[in-house]
Order: sequence, then structure tokens, then C-alpha cells
Amino acid sequence: MKVNLYLNKRVAIIGAGLTLFRRRLLETPQEIAWEAASKALEEAGLELKDIDCVVIGSAPDAFDGVHLKGEYLSHGSGGIRKPVSRVYVGGATGVMTAIAGWYHVASGLCQKVLAVAEEKMSPARPHPQSVFKYIWDPILEKPLNPNLIWIFAMEMHRYMSKYGIKKEEIALVSVKNKRNALNNPYAQLGANITVDDVLNSEVLVWPVQLLDVSPVSDGGAAIVLASEDVARRYTDTPVWVEGVGWTLDNTEWPARDLSYARYVEFAARMAYKIAGIERPNKEIDVVEPYDPFDYKELHHLEALQLAKRGEAPTLLKEGVFDIDGDIPSSPSGGLLGVGNPIAAAGLMKVISIYWQLKGTAGKMQVKRPVHTGLAQAWGDLMQAGTVIVLRN
Amino acid sequence: MSWDKSIKESVKWYDNMEVEKYEYTVGPAGEEFFKGLKQGKIIGCKCSKCGKIYIPARAYCENCFAKIDNYVEIKKEEAYVDSYTIIYKDDEGRQLDKPIYIAMIRFPNTVGGLLCYAEGNVRVGGKAKITSFDWPLRVIVE
Ligand SMILES: [Zn+2]
Repeated sequence: MKVNLYLNKRVAIIGAGLTLFRRRLLETPQEIAWEAASKALEEAGLELKDIDCVVIGSAPDAFDGVHLKGEYLSHGSGGIRKPVSRVYVGGATGVMTAIAGWYHVASGLCQKVLAVAEEKMSPARPHPQSVFKYIWDPILEKPLNPNLIWIFAMEMHRYMSKYGIKKEEIALVSVKNKRNALNNPYAQLGANITVDDVLNSEVLVWPVQLLDVSPVSDGGAAIVLASEDVARRYTDTPVWVEGVGWTLDNTEWPARDLSYARYVEFAARMAYKIAGIERPNKEIDVVEPYDPFDYKELHHLEALQLAKRGEAPTLLKEGVFDIDGDIPSSPSGGLLGVGNPIAAAGLMKVISIYWQLKGTAGKMQVKRPVHTGLAQAWGDLMQAGTVIVLRN
Repeated sequence: MSWDKSIKESVKWYDNMEVEKYEYTVGPAGEEFFKGLKQGKIIGCKCSKCGKIYIPARAYCENCFAKIDNYVEIKKEEAYVDSYTIIYKDDEGRQLDKPIYIAMIRFPNTVGGLLCYAEGNVRVGGKAKITSFDWPLRVIVE
């Protein structure tokens, strides 16, 4: 892969805001976006009039039930009478929102960018899962009436059988993340659960069980990105965006190796190259891999080159990814513990790393000093990977 | 082979992709607005930072981004027609027995407006009296 390393401006994150992640929020999608956006401005010490442009990230229009959702959300995202763009790469959208905000500044086009991600999953009846009826090949796949959990079940099973991984080992991700979420004031599902709780939970689509899966949520997230000169004026603790990467693999999911997330590896390699990272498992201090399902966190840790293929479960068991481990993973509690309002969940992961590197993560703060962190998201039909590397 | 012929002979698959329904919330400010309608009132809100008055009430100011929780009753007797249109066919294309007038009504010194069914001497600038507070509103223009 070739990456043009010429960048016009160094970019920092200088503010972030989150709403509570909840199953059903009373607020409209615009109001959810506004709450996150105004909190991010407040942390940055900026007003809306200071913002040059706005980036909005949101997954399918059909979740909130409003077509042209980017335009609809621009009202609450501070985008009125400003240049606004919306990004959408399925579940990978949240990190892509930060990346799109980054390139507006890195290119030299803008100095101060507000990047907002929102998802309201609760309006669709009977369940937002029905929104995904839209995403299959209409002839080759749709007649089987698949849902998303099917293909993740297929992926999880392939991953397990290729490396001889047991469900007990995968369940440890859910245990860890829900435990971490107890320290997160925004979280929906923090809990002390056991491996047995996961193994005894309802089987949804074998081998996926209820506690293997992140909850359906409403929520918003926002960050403010600024060029170096601006960032230094507004904060003594800017957190720099050191590398970004995004990749789209073959959109036919049967055409891919289900046991390995190649799309994430490619995105990670791009981000590592820009950030000058040669040995990720030695250089990344804290990580937020995308975890809508428990096995997915392991899958992604391997694709991010933080564990060898098939070895993430062993490192997890050894405590490497615990909050006091060598590479704490999902210290926020992840999607499994905090909730999964799709685009907002991905940007929440970026914000988690930002707060860790700023040292303002409160009870979520990892024990070891941290200087380099990574957030990652993944989406569409398992083919979009997005990665961002931050440094303090 | 003609286009028609190739289409007729090709394999087709029929399906639909609908969510059964959506349940939308109106949000905290929207609830104030709809509660007001039940009492025959038009509720807006005033931004304490920039002073703009919005109709209907909303939770934040799009102009300065401040939170708004200062709800104000708007003088409904000052409503006027900003613009209107006349609908002659339904959305299936069938001729309506009687054309429908849809008016955008506004209130002086406020931001926003309300779409409603209108009757009477409907004209731009005409004074609009709200005759039904069920949603969507109905007005009669003097
Ligand atoms: Zn205002």
C-alpha cells in the first residue's frame, strides 16, 4: 500500500463530548447530536462561531428513520451555514468521522473542525435489526432471510475452529468489558458477570449468545480537531492524531477469509506507517478495538498486529488486555459495556483513547502511564476497517 | 435482442425491504410544544444568549448553540400567512373533490413557522386564526 506522507498540518484533538448511551433516549436525534457537540465545544473552550466546518458520521438513515440524515443532523451538529459533510461506512463510521475531521485540518483547508457522530437505534419497530434487511445481495442471500448475527455467527465459528478457540475463552472479553464499563459514567451495561453467565445466556444464533453481543442503544459523541498552532493556544495538553488508516475489502463477504480481519490489518498498516510505528505490540500503550461482539475484539487485536493470529485469547487469559495489563483493551467498557449506537460508539472509542492520553479518563484511567493509543472500528458487511493512532 | 425482450426473459426476484414502523419521540422541547397545543397555546422558546425566539420550542439554539429551557407562549392572534400552496390531486394522482390549501404561518419577531391546513380568504400576509389545535393545525384566514 502506498501512502503519501506529505501532510500540510499537524492535527490535535482538543475537546470531546458524549451523551449517555441508553436503550431509549427521549431526545430527538438532533438534540442528541447537539448535546455531544456542545459538550465537545465546551471542553475545547470554543464557541460554535469559531468552528470552520462540521463533519457528521451516522450509519443507515433507516435507524433514526429520517432520510438525508446527515443534512437532518447538521442542525444539532452546529452545521447550519457552514461547510458540512457526512461520512458513512457502516459500523466503521465512528472512527471514520474522526478521520474525516482530521483530513479537513491536515490538508490545511480548515483550522477548527467539529466532528459529530449520532445514532438513534430505538425508533424502528419491531427491532432495528430489520433495517439490515436492506444490506444483502437481493438474490443470492436475501431469500434465506439472513440477519447480521448470522454472518457474525459464521465468522465466530470459523475463527474458533481454525485456531481451536473455546467459547469460554471468548466470553472473557464480555466479562472484561462489562466490568470496565462499571467505571464509565456514560455506560448502559456495566456489570460484574462471569464466564458462566455468558455461556448460560440465551442462544441467539449458534454460537452467538445474548451476552456475546453489545446492546442496542441511542447516543451521540463529538470531538473538536484543530491545527497545531490553534491547539497550542487553547490547551496545554493537546492529543495529536499521529496516524490514520481506512480500507474497504471485497464487499462480497463469502469471498473473504472469515477467520481473519484483513480489512483491519490494511487500515492498521496505513495508520502505523503514517505514525512511524514499527512494532505495534511494543509501541501501543492502550487500545480500543471495535467490540460489537466479544470475539470481534480478539479478531481485531490480531488484525491490529497486537497479537499473533489465533493468540489473542491466550494473551487475554494472561491478563495482557486487562485495565492493569501491558496493553489495556477497551478500558471504556467498549460497545459490550457502554452500548452500541453505531457511529457514536466508534467515535466514543476515539474519545476514550483521547481522555486516556490526556489523563482525564477518571475512574477509567489505566494504571500504567500511556503515550500512544489506538482506536479502531469496523463495519459494513465485514469489509470496512478504520484506525486512528493518537499520541500525547 | 431488444431491451424489452431481454428484460422479459431475464431472471427477476421480488422482495420488499420495509421496517414495519417507526416510533419517533418529539424530545423534551417538543413535548412542551405539544402539551401547549392541548391547552390551545402556541409554545415557543427564547434563547437567553442571543434572544432569538423559536417556534416550535426546541432544546437548543441553532445560532449560538446554547441550551434553551426558557419556554414562552407566543401571541397566537398575531399569526399570518407567509406563503401557501393549493393541492389539486392526492398522492396517487387522483383529482380531489375540493382543493386543499396548505399554509405556512409565521408569528412576528420569531424564527420558524408552522405548516397547517388553511381555509377562508387564503392569501400571503393574511391574518390566520387557528381553529383547531389538533395536529396538523387548521387555520381560517380573514
Ligand atoms: Zn441563541
